[in-house]
Amino acid sequence: MTSIEKLFYLRLVDSKAVEEFHYNPGQFLEISVPGVGEAPISVCNVQKTPGELQLCIRKVGRVTNAIHRLKEKDLLWLRGPYGNGFPMGVMENHNLLLIAGGLGIAPLRSVLQHALLHRDKYGLITVMYGVRCYSTMLFREEFLKLFREGDKLGVEFLLAYEDKSDAECYQLACERSDRCMSGLVTKLIEATPIKPDNTYAVICGPPVMYKFVVKELTQRHFTPAQIYMTMERRMKCGVGKCGHCITGSSNSIKYVCKDGPVFTYLDALKTRGLL
Amino acid sequence: MYKKLFKKHLENFISILSKFGVVYAPVKKASKLYDFTELTDFKELQLKYTRTMIPPKKFFLKPKEPLYLLNKDKGFKEIVDDSKTVLLGVHSCDINAINLLDRVYLNQFPDLFYKTRRDNTIIIGVSCEPDENCFCTSTGSSHALRGFDLFMHEVDDRYIIRVGSLKGFQIISECKNILADTSLPDIKEFKRVEAERIKRISLNLNVNGIQDILDLSHDHSAWQENADICFGCGTCNLVCPTCRCYDVVDYLKLDLKNGLRARRWDSCMLRQHALVAGGLNFRPTRVERLYNRFNCKMSFSEDSLNCVGCGRCTVYCPADINFVEVLNQVRED
Ligand SMILES: Cc1cc2nc3c(=O)[nH]c(=O)nc-3n(C[C@H](O)[C@H](O)[C@H](O)COP(=O)(O)OP(=O)(O)OC[C@H]3O[C@@H](n4cnc5c(N)ncnc54)[C@H](O)[C@@H]3O)c2cc1C
Ligand code: SF4
Ligand code: SF4
Ligand code: FES
Repeated sequence: MTSIEKLFYLRLVDSKAVEEFHYNPGQFLEISVPGVGEAPISVCNVQKTPGELQLCIRKVGRVTNAIHRLKEKDLLWLRGPYGNGFPMGVMENHNLLLIAGGLGIAPLRSVLQHALLHRDKYGLITVMYGVRCYSTMLFREEFLKLFREGDKLGVEFLLAYEDKSDAECYQLACERSDRCMSGLVTKLIEATPIKPDNTYAVICGPPVMYKFVVKELTQRHFTPAQIYMTMERRMKCGVGKCGHCITGSSNSIKYVCKDGPVFTYLDALKTRGLL
Repeated sequence: MYKKLFKKHLENFISILSKFGVVYAPVKKASKLYDFTELTDFKELQLKYTRTMIPPKKFFLKPKEPLYLLNKDKGFKEIVDDSKTVLLGVHSCDINAINLLDRVYLNQFPDLFYKTRRDNTIIIGVSCEPDENCFCTSTGSSHALRGFDLFMHEVDDRYIIRVGSLKGFQIISECKNILADTSLPDIKEFKRVEAERIKRISLNLNVNGIQDILDLSHDHSAWQENADICFGCGTCNLVCPTCRCYDVVDYLKLDLKNGLRARRWDSCMLRQHALVAGGLNFRPTRVERLYNRFNCKMSFSEDSLNCVGCGRCTVYCPADINFVEVLNQVRED
């Protein structure tokens, strides 16, 4: 997809596992390369064909590099799905505002796909995606199609790009200046007339992004319970044992792996250090 | 159900125990150092001891523990240790700590390795010898109400043994010849001895509302002052009976095909504990890590502390950081 991210298509080989394997948007898997290690990775598509799933993986370290070196039909080992995932049921009959930065679009893509698959259950869907430049944009073809033709599906797709001199993004901005602009993803919130009524906001991106996005949303009178976000921490076990993802102070301790990774902004307000 | 065992029958009792598994018990290693060790010589047994340096968690969550044999093409195969073990002489605080570990490791995703060790281990409690660093009465862990198979209350020349489980019942069924029923004088003595034991636990930690106090005192100078003298060595995690963080590592043999996935104790006082890709660290400074450890110890869940008042972290801290003093200081000013 880009120089550091690849999209992987996985098919479960264990037929019994195929029957039992169900995941929801926002859940993650622990992916193993024997002899190298294990890493938590979100599923980035909605479950359609049993036993098939997609992972979008950025190479940053030992395991992710080893996965990037794999060839077609090579084997991977996985555990999961783990984590709470997004409350797709709670968000039914509401508008969705999905805000992603960089790789954060991967888990939000499964939310988007879920909502499109059950289109009549959700209101207007707005996607705000912030990238550094055109070449780092993930799922490019898919999203450009949404950018141009999303309205037919009730989807407003907006793009923010950081690199002002990026020619491709500039062209998109010329095409639809209200849908593509240079700046951070918060710029899109500032420039778009969004209302909190009957809307849930869902955020995923690099840790620094959350505070700024939340600030914009609360200024627009989103309540802390209307904002969902999915968090990253160091994880080893994924199931509340190894202690690596524990966050909070003693009046509210959260395990990002099993209490999350999806939290509301209200959880973040109550749990020191979650945001 | 209670039974009485005279101390003169203790050796006999232990030889019956050894039919149920390899007996591990506190043994003196140096002047103030006790350790749960395989009991090969009855004379080494130290049932009157203050505390072991390494808590009994080492039997269920081993310091270094192979989990899976791995093969690049075939994947993983579990290595489970189902050897029968009898853990003799565990104090109430440590039993309460194991109960907390159980809540982590046997919850909705039971840990196969821990569970197998737990299922194959008999726990026999014994009354403790408190010293000036014990504060288990503050943390509600001076008695163990569950989590053991037998509990031996030392009363003068005998033990009043309490049955805690079916396995415990089976053990005493094998000991008919050396056990007797308790009598009224036993009960009277039991009350006196227990009251004296509790009286010796004089250190007090006020845990009422400690969770709010800690959260509100995030910027208290005590954290920085103690972080400045802390070595960041992680000993406090190592010796804590409720600390249970682990790291997972894969080892490959020279054939680069076969290997081992293992876990080993980890420590939240070490820098890399909360480090993620891109070099981002959720607790980059020592003061944040220290604050986090105290907070973690003062809250396991909404209904429980994560500290059993054993005093180990204070006793073994090379920087002499006193757990109770720090918390009391934060509360008081
Ligand atoms: C819920 C969740 C979902 C995720 N979803 C995705 C996803 O969909 N796609 C994706 O690409 N990523 C995802 N991640 C992130 C991914 O799990 C991490 O990037 C993971 O660390 C990669 O593992 P690795 O073995 O390749 O990296 P590692 O080898 O663990 O190294 C990663 C980095 O961590 C640091 N590091 C690790 N260990 C040490 C150490 N001992 N000493 C010093 N530095 C160290 C280094 O800076 C290194 O560059 C997710 C994470 C979480 C928690
Ligand atoms: S044992 Fe003491 S010096 Fe070592 S990390 Fe813990 S508090 Fe710091
Ligand atoms: S925090 Fe200290 S006193 Fe409390 S259980 Fe752990 S080692 Fe014992
Ligand atoms: S990842 Fe191990 S406790 Fe959350």
